[in-house]
Formats: sequence, structure tokens, C-alpha cells
Amino acid sequence: MNNQINLNSIKKEASGMFIYFSRLMDSEVIDKNGCLVGTIYDIVVKPTEVYPQSSILVIRRGFPNRKYAAINWADISELTEKETRLKISQSEIKFKEDHNNKEELTLRRDILDQQVVDTHNHKVIRINDIHLLFVEHSLMVAHVDISTRGLLRRLGFERIADFLVGLVNKNADYLRKEQLISWKYIQPLSINPASMTIKVNVPEKQFSNIPAADLGDIFLDLNIKQQVTLFKSFDARTQARIFSHIDFKTQKLLIEELNDKQIVEILNNAPSDEVTDFLERLPKEKTERYLGLMESKYSKRLSQLLGYSNDSAGGLMTTEYLAFLKNTPIESVLAQIKERVFKTEPAQFVYIVDENNRLVGCTNFRRLMLAPPQEPLEKAAFPKIYFVQINSSVKEVAYLMEKYKYYAIPVVDDNHILQGIITVDDILSQLISFAWRRLKKIKIIPKSKST
Amino acid sequence: MKKKIISFKAKMLIFLAVMGPGIITANVDNDAGGITTYSVAGAHFGYSLIWSFVPIIVALIVIQEMCSRMAVVTGKGLADLIREEFGVRVTFYAMTVLMFSNLFNTISEFAGIAASAELFGISKYILVPLCAVFVWWLIVKGTYKSVEKVFLLACVFYVSYILSGYLSKPNWNEVARSSVMPVFEFNKAYILMLIGVVGTTIAPWMQFYQQSSVVEKGIKLENYKYSKLDVIIGSFLVNIVAIFIVVVCANTLFTHGIRIESAKDAALALKPLAGNYCFYLFAFGLLNASVFSACILPLSTAYSVCEGMGWEVGVNRRFREAPQFYTLYTAIIFIGAAVILLPGVKLVPIMLLSQATNGILLPFVLIFMLLLVNNKRLMGTYTNSRLYNFISIFVVVAMISLSVFLFFAVFLH
Repeated sequence: MNNQINLNSIKKEASGMFIYFSRLMDSEVIDKNGCLVGTIYDIVVKPTEVYPQSSILVIRRGFPNRKYAAINWADISELTEKETRLKISQSEIKFKEDHNNKEELTLRRDILDQQVVDTHNHKVIRINDIHLLFVEHSLMVAHVDISTRGLLRRLGFERIADFLVGLVNKNADYLRKEQLISWKYIQPLSINPASMTIKVNVPEKQFSNIPAADLGDIFLDLNIKQQVTLFKSFDARTQARIFSHIDFKTQKLLIEELNDKQIVEILNNAPSDEVTDFLERLPKEKTERYLGLMESKYSKRLSQLLGYSNDSAGGLMTTEYLAFLKNTPIESVLAQIKERVFKTEPAQFVYIVDENNRLVGCTNFRRLMLAPPQEPLEKAAFPKIYFVQINSSVKEVAYLMEKYKYYAIPVVDDNHILQGIITVDDILSQLISFAWRRLKKIKIIPKSKST
Repeated sequence: MKKKIISFKAKMLIFLAVMGPGIITANVDNDAGGITTYSVAGAHFGYSLIWSFVPIIVALIVIQEMCSRMAVVTGKGLADLIREEFGVRVTFYAMTVLMFSNLFNTISEFAGIAASAELFGISKYILVPLCAVFVWWLIVKGTYKSVEKVFLLACVFYVSYILSGYLSKPNWNEVARSSVMPVFEFNKAYILMLIGVVGTTIAPWMQFYQQSSVVEKGIKLENYKYSKLDVIIGSFLVNIVAIFIVVVCANTLFTHGIRIESAKDAALALKPLAGNYCFYLFAFGLLNASVFSACILPLSTAYSVCEGMGWEVGVNRRFREAPQFYTLYTAIIFIGAAVILLPGVKLVPIMLLSQATNGILLPFVLIFMLLLVNNKRLMGTYTNSRLYNFISIFVVVAMISLSVFLFFAVFLH
């Protein structure tokens, strides 16, 4: 983690530029005449830039009848760990019963102790402390702290714990490594109750860098409300990516929260085999309704796929594949491949069909590139083509793919017309669930830890 | 007409899918400690304490329903909410007390297993480690769904107490009369017993466990009424079983003037009075209840503590991914079983410690719950109604004063 190393070196040069929010919390606030007005309760930040900047200081006083007041950042003359001095006098501050402005993002209410998504390590984490940076006059949210040390700091045991660990091992990881995560990787999950949207949106680029499977895992760690709100904040492409990697229960839940247009967009963008898996488990009338709403060409294919039994080749196959007429020139094939947009990464195979869409051959990208560009596609074909029937069993498919070392195998109907392809990952997930049931030893938890 | 039948069927199906957390949580309440308390209550005071189960049912429903509602509306566990709303310091101390209270409870569950081992004539050095391994294996290797099924099955076995109640041939008219007509005796032993009976019924871990398991099930707002039904059925079931335990002991031991100290004494005393079947059913019930609760308590502790402290939670993660979760879970089972196997260990102080820690924690948990459930930002339109608040505040105040009273009674005793 590069950002951590950089941070440590910067910190040595300019210690005192950073401050932990926990150290500020409940420290005293003094007005220009030296009178105690209250203690720091919260800080409202403006999430306009990458690193949010402090704009309002919320102070409170009194117990048990607490009263809160908001102070503009411009009215603060000095802010340190010990105390905060104001430019104004006590009489100018208006205390109120309530301080909750629902739309604002505040450190204590919305970030500290809350769950957030760490888009760098692909995890859902809980924040123990916030690391603030002095920039000119105001404070900036630089990092969040998720370490045990942060936890101990909040509890007031940091010094004791540091001392005890230091006794045992002076170079313990605990003392040297700071588990700080840069704010730019943090997606807060606090929900704006007025608009039901996420208060701050990390640039979507952060999320598009996360592999879809990990994104699905992150999603399953969130609670229902967070799932729905975060999901809505994504574009259709990311939504479709997440959709194909979460379990049916969550899929159904999310779909129920969206309107027809959004649903159709997701279903149109997700791979056909995932969509059929989903539609298959819905009640019939719902399936019909969604199919009716979708693009007619795509929904026709889907309803066809839905007709096949789940453990047959027809039920496993996807209809996203590359097929061209046998007499197409190779250069034109290559050009078309370059132009096409794929929902999923296609297998490296190109299928060759005749005018009636009957399967006549197969080739791969390598052969296409090596063949003379003017020749018809037929010439680049493999000498022999293997395929399975629509009603072939999973075992047959798996056996053929293993035997001929194919990453994908075409599926044809009784008239030899190409219907779809089965890729190795579809077979693998079938085999894993089969092995799971039999052995119960394999645990499929593909969570990676990059820390 | 036909449509109505189908919709009823559909409703039943939804209920069966939602059912679980409420019934399981309530039933764990009849654990080794609970059975002991009810047996002693029946043996020493006859039917005269049965009436107290009616207000207990109400209190249990009111408190557990709030947990269920918070879980469905916010999608967060109780420890999560406490951390997010009241900060880390409060959470840390609450979790520490919860951990100790649950640890002592777990020890007393293993004591229940040891007691039933002796009743069945098996060495406790065999049965206790066996059960500990079973409990550990069940959670670590199971999924939420499969574990829940096992738990629901364990709930069915509580029938053994109802059967043993029938076998003791009680006077049903009198049972019915004493459950609706409160009699009150003004002596120290009676009042202590009454507090004991109420005190064992509502423990802090129940709120945490119930809320986490409703969250884990992902029950939706529109199905909330079924979740409520789940809580109500659970609260009735657990108290009916408790009444039967009191009835068995009242009907046999009380009428013969036999004094007992524990559930084991009760079972042994039942043998000559009510026959072998009754004895075996009673002993089996104790074993089932102890193993069942020994499963849930460590699990619930690990869940709540990790939730509150922000550590990775879940049985479907590997050790490396959720080290704190597994360490806590394993340690509680290990300590619970090991303490029982130590020669010369005294159980009474452990039971008292568990009651005392429960008593310290319960007021805080209930107050937190009331604050959370009435927080509009969290609950929206699902906060308590004024009437409900009135009832729940009454229940909470009653529970708090009882547990404070129990706490002092235990230590002044």
C-alpha cells in the first residue's frame, strides 16, 4: 500500500499537521473573552472535493438537557487538541435542542463508528477513528483508522497499551504500522433520509476497478437499506455486474426496489445465463412481465433458454457468442470483433455457420490472426468440430470439454442449428456445487486480502 | 372462496419462511438455569407461582418484538446500533459485561449437561467434551439455514416436559385457576423465588441474539407481521413449557414436601413418585435444553461482540478472515466445558455471578433499546406508539427494578 508509506514519511516531517478526530471530540471550546461555551460534539464537512473540508463546528453543553450550537468555521480563531478558541463571544452563539440537519455529512453521526466500503481492499469496515489534516485554516478528512490501536485510543487506553506492547516488543507491528486508509478509497454508507441516496458518492471509477465477484461479496456484507441505496447510485453497467454476482434473495430484493425501466436496463445488460437463472426462480407471472418489458429480440432468446432444464446443456448455455457466415472474409470478421461491445469477456472462439445458421466449424482468435486476411472464414477453421446437443447432460458436456481441452463448447439443436455456447466457468460452478454436496470439504470463499 | 384458501396457504408459507428467530430465542430461555429455577419454584411453592407466567409472557413479547422491529426496519443488529448511536466506549463496556455474563451462562449450560449425564448414568467426562465438540462443529460447519433447522428441531424436544407434565397427572382445574388468580405470599423466600422466575426469563443476550438472527434472515418490512407472530408464538411456547415444569414438580415434590436444590435433584426425586418415564423425559428435557443453549450462547456472544467492535462476523468465513469471531466462539465453549470438568468446582457462585452480570447489563440494554426504537432517524414511522411506549416503559421499569433487587438480594444473601 503505497499511500501508507508516503504518509509515514510526510508525517515525520510535519507532525502536528494531523490530528485524530477522537482527540478533538469533547474538548473544550472557549469564546473570545475566555469563557467556556461548551465542548466539541461534531464537525460538519463539505463533501464537494475528494477530501471533504470542515465547514461547521457543532458544540454542545449541559447534561442531561443537552443543547447544541453550530459555529461557522470562520469564527474559530485557533483549534488544538487541548481547546478551541472562538473569535466571537458567548452571547452571539445560539443553542438549540436539536442539531440534526439531515442533509449534511457530519463526522460523528455519519462516519465515526459507522460501516463504510473500503474500495481499496474490497471490504466493508467499521471506522474507529478519523485522521484529519490541517490545511490552511480548516480541517480535511485525510484518512480513516480501522486499527485496534484506534479502538484503544477511543477507549482511552492507547498510552497504556502502547507502553505494554513496547515492553514486550519495541518493533511490534502494532506500534509501527498505522492502519490508515486514504479517504479517496472510502465510500460512506450514510443515507440521506430526504432523498434516500448515499450522501457522498465515491467516483464510480473506484468501483469499476473492483472485480465483479468481489463487488458481489462487498454487497452481501451490507444491510438491506445500504444495499438498495448504494445499488441505486450505480450506473446500469455496474448494476448488471453486481447483479450477476449476488444470490437470488438479494437479487429479488433489489429488483423489487427499482422501477420497470431500471429493471429492464439491468436485465438487458447482464449476461443471459445469469438472467435466466434469476428469471427461472421468479413466479411465472413476474417472469412473463419482465420478458415483455425487455428488448423483444433478447427476451425471445431468454424465454427460449428458460424452457431448457437446469442441468442440461440448454439450461447452462449463454447466447453471447461470436458466429459468422462461413464465406465472410477473415479481415471483416476481425474488424467486427473489434467493434462489438460485450457484456462479458467472450471465450476465444469464433463459430462458423451457414446461411441457415447451422454450425459448420469453429476457430479461435489465434488462427484468425495468422490466416491470410482475404480468405473466407471457413479456411481458418479447426479440422474437426465438437459440439453438444441441447438436451445433453452436464456430465457429458464436462467430459467433452475436459477431453478436448476446450474453454467453450457450442450447443446445437436437432437441426444442427447453433443455439449457444457453454463456457468452462459455467461447467466449473456446476461441478463445484456437485463436489460441495459430496465432499463438503471445499469452501468457496474467494475473498482476497490485499493488506 | 378458493382464492381465500390459497391466500391462507400463501400466508402459512410466508410464516414458515419467516419463523425461527423468535421461537428459538424464546425457547433457549428454558435453559439449564431456567429449568432449575422452575423446578425449585414448583417443588417449594406448588402452584402458587404459576400466575406470574402471564405477565412474563406480556413482558417477553413487548421486549422481543421491539428487537424484531428494529432488525427489520434498520437491517442492523442491536450491537451495531448501540455502537453507531452511542459510540465505542459504551459499546465496549456493554460487550465486556455481555461476554462475561454469557460465559457464566454457558458454564451453567455445561453444568446442566453434566447433571443429565449423571442422571443417565454416563460419565460427565465423556458427555461434556462430546457435547462441546458437537456444539463447535455444528456452527463452524453449518450454514445459517441448516443450523436454524437443527435449532427448531431442538425446540420440538421441549415437548418432553409437557409429556412429563401429563404423566404426573396434575389437577388441571387447579392449574388453570392458579394461572389466572394471583396469590401473593408476603415472605422473603416467596418474593426471592418470584424475582428468580421473572429474572431468568428475560436475559440481555436474548435481545442481541434475536435481533442479529432476524437481520441474518433478511426479513422484509412487508413480512414484518409474520415476524411479530413468530415472537408471540415463541413467548407463549416457552412459558407453557415452563408452566409444565412447575406443574410436574408441584404435583409430585411439593405434595410430598420434598426440598430440592437443582434440576437434577428434581429428576431424581421424580423417579419414585411419577415413574421411570417421567424421570427419563425430565432428564432428556434437561439435556436437550442444555445442549441447545450451549450452542446459542457462545454463538450469540461472538456475533454481538464482533458486530459491536467492528470485526468480521460470520460462520461462513474462514478463521483467517474472522479471527476474533472464531477465537471468542471457541474460547467460550472451551472454558464453559473445561470449568465443569475441573474437580471440586462449585457451581453456585458461578450461577450467582451469571445472574449478577445479567442484572447489571439488562437495565442498560433495555434503556438503549427504548432510546433506539424511538429514534425517528432510525425507525421512521416504525417508532413505538404512545400506548406501546407506555407499556414498554412500564415493563422496562419493572424489569430493571426486579434485576436491581435480584442483584442486591444475591449479594446480601
